[in-house]
Amino acid sequence: MSAANRDAPGIFGAKAVGIRSWAGIAPAVVLVMWRREMKRYLRDRSQIFGGFSRTVLWLVILGYGLGASLREIEGYTYGQYILPGVIVLNVLFAALQCAIALVWDREVGLLREVVVSPAPMFSVTLGKLLGGATISLIQGSIPLLFAPLIGVHLSVGGLLGAWGVIFCLGAFMTAVGVIIATRLKTFEGFGSISNGVIQPLYFLSGSIFPLRGVIGGVGFLDIPDQLRDELRRIGVFAIGGGWVVQLPEWLKVLVYVNPVSYQLDLLRHALLRFHQLPMIADVLVTVLAPVLAAVVAAALMRRMTAQR
Amino acid sequence: MSPAGGATTVMGGPRDDQAAILADRLGRRYGDVTAVESVSLAIRPGEFFALLGPNGAGKTTTLHMLTTMLRPTSGTAAVFGFDVARQPHEVRRLLGMVFQDPALDDRLTARENLEIHAVLYGIGRKEREQVIDRALGWAALTEARDRRVRSFSGGMKRRLELARALTHSPKVLFLDEPTIGLDPQGRRNLWEHIDALREGGMTVLMTTHNLPEAEACDRVGIMDAGRLVAVGTPRELVARHGGGASDGGAEPGAAEHGGVDRRAPDPARRGADLEDVFIALTGKQLRDEQATARDRLVSFAKRGGEHTR
Repeated sequence: MSAANRDAPGIFGAKAVGIRSWAGIAPAVVLVMWRREMKRYLRDRSQIFGGFSRTVLWLVILGYGLGASLREIEGYTYGQYILPGVIVLNVLFAALQCAIALVWDREVGLLREVVVSPAPMFSVTLGKLLGGATISLIQGSIPLLFAPLIGVHLSVGGLLGAWGVIFCLGAFMTAVGVIIATRLKTFEGFGSISNGVIQPLYFLSGSIFPLRGVIGGVGFLDIPDQLRDELRRIGVFAIGGGWVVQLPEWLKVLVYVNPVSYQLDLLRHALLRFHQLPMIADVLVTVLAPVLAAVVAAALMRRMTAQR
Repeated sequence: MSPAGGATTVMGGPRDDQAAILADRLGRRYGDVTAVESVSLAIRPGEFFALLGPNGAGKTTTLHMLTTMLRPTSGTAAVFGFDVARQPHEVRRLLGMVFQDPALDDRLTARENLEIHAVLYGIGRKEREQVIDRALGWAALTEARDRRVRSFSGGMKRRLELARALTHSPKVLFLDEPTIGLDPQGRRNLWEHIDALREGGMTVLMTTHNLPEAEACDRVGIMDAGRLVAVGTPRELVARHGGGASDGGAEPGAAEHGGVDRRAPDPARRGADLEDVFIALTGKQLRDEQATARDRLVSFAKRGGEHTR
């Protein structure tokens, strides 16, 4: 049949002009999929509420509660110390919720319709990843609203740096979530993702305890010299009024292999001017991890939706 | 078109422009399990064709191969001359698809769902608004255009999907169990919409369990255990396989010339009907299947699913 016949307008008078794309990137498709994610997010009040409630629980309640016994970490109050961690927690939830929705989308949602369309799947994936990163940026900014409350003063440079890190972390975690979603056959609740992915990444990133450093404890302001010597003999160093943290080796290894540790460390540097890991490692992981994860996610999305 | 069942037509080559859908010994295996075996079929442009069969007969698998979602493991198929395995992109532009379960984003509005579709099929920005408005009007959803799909009834969703499947001016429409789960009013209304398309000359391939609906189609193919066991007009099938209870006067060929009832299906029809043919060809055995991972997800979705978290 002729091309003219194929493009003849149908009952609604549409004459498809074809999709403009370069190397699988169709800007219109990326944009429409990004907007879809944003609309889904903005209409889901529970997600925005969750962002605030997590912030209050961790930053205000835990920050002040545990902060009462742990007076300071390297000169920062406990609330200040965990601020970047709470941002990371919000990003982990936002990105993974956005990505895991793919399981639904594939079986009972819009994705089947996308799959039988001529739109390039790479653009669809890209729209999803950018959407997840943007939602992460918004959800991750909620704790920043509480910064003045806990005595953290943000500079313009620090804020821009933090947003850059949050966006990269959001893109990375959305891609990781997409990778997980393409492997999931069924899905009956977000609980397994929360317990199996979010919490390990969160707790093993140095978000709530330092990797090393001096912790000030209440009641140890005046340590008698005799006690100080005895402690030194069993390997605990008390400097001034604090303790030197020394994590067990196995825990250290788990923290060092967790990519989120480096992204969090860079975020903490942007917000508090304090970091615990090599800066070069922080920057490399933050920039490269999302790119690598996105490449894998795009390949798996293509495999999942290709003719099987 | 040959009325004989089974391997009816062979591929006519690239010059065979007459066939809207042409399947030649199409087959699909999953490891040791054969889902579809050697299905040959030719559907003319403008024809209204129903694939009928019990659960697990291979209807949906066949449909998924024809719509480029599944790759055939044997045989070939073409839609208006484009090979489904080698030219999926061309095939996708030509087909409109309505899935068994709604494939909508239920957090978006009717209009937004149509807009995504228009972008995915490359409908120009200038045309988009007009096309979407017409589609909404056709589906009688103009009033509900800015309501979220989550609040729609089953019938409204199905109408929206049908309108959406038409917005890019497809040449072939694939409907997978289009009236399943609808109440009689919704079913009748949807069928009126489908009938209007038919009058306009649209080629339609639908799968169904519903015998009166199949009876209203130009031709019916009956599938069982992955094979196409009979193809013909409803009258031919009744005459050939319906036992002695035929209503008479149904000689092959006569049905093609206006003999088929083109009106909405009437469940209270004459004595011997397609149901007798269906049972005669596929037996009375119940088809109990194990729930798949997808079935569990769908049932979770129906209990509130995603929104329960």
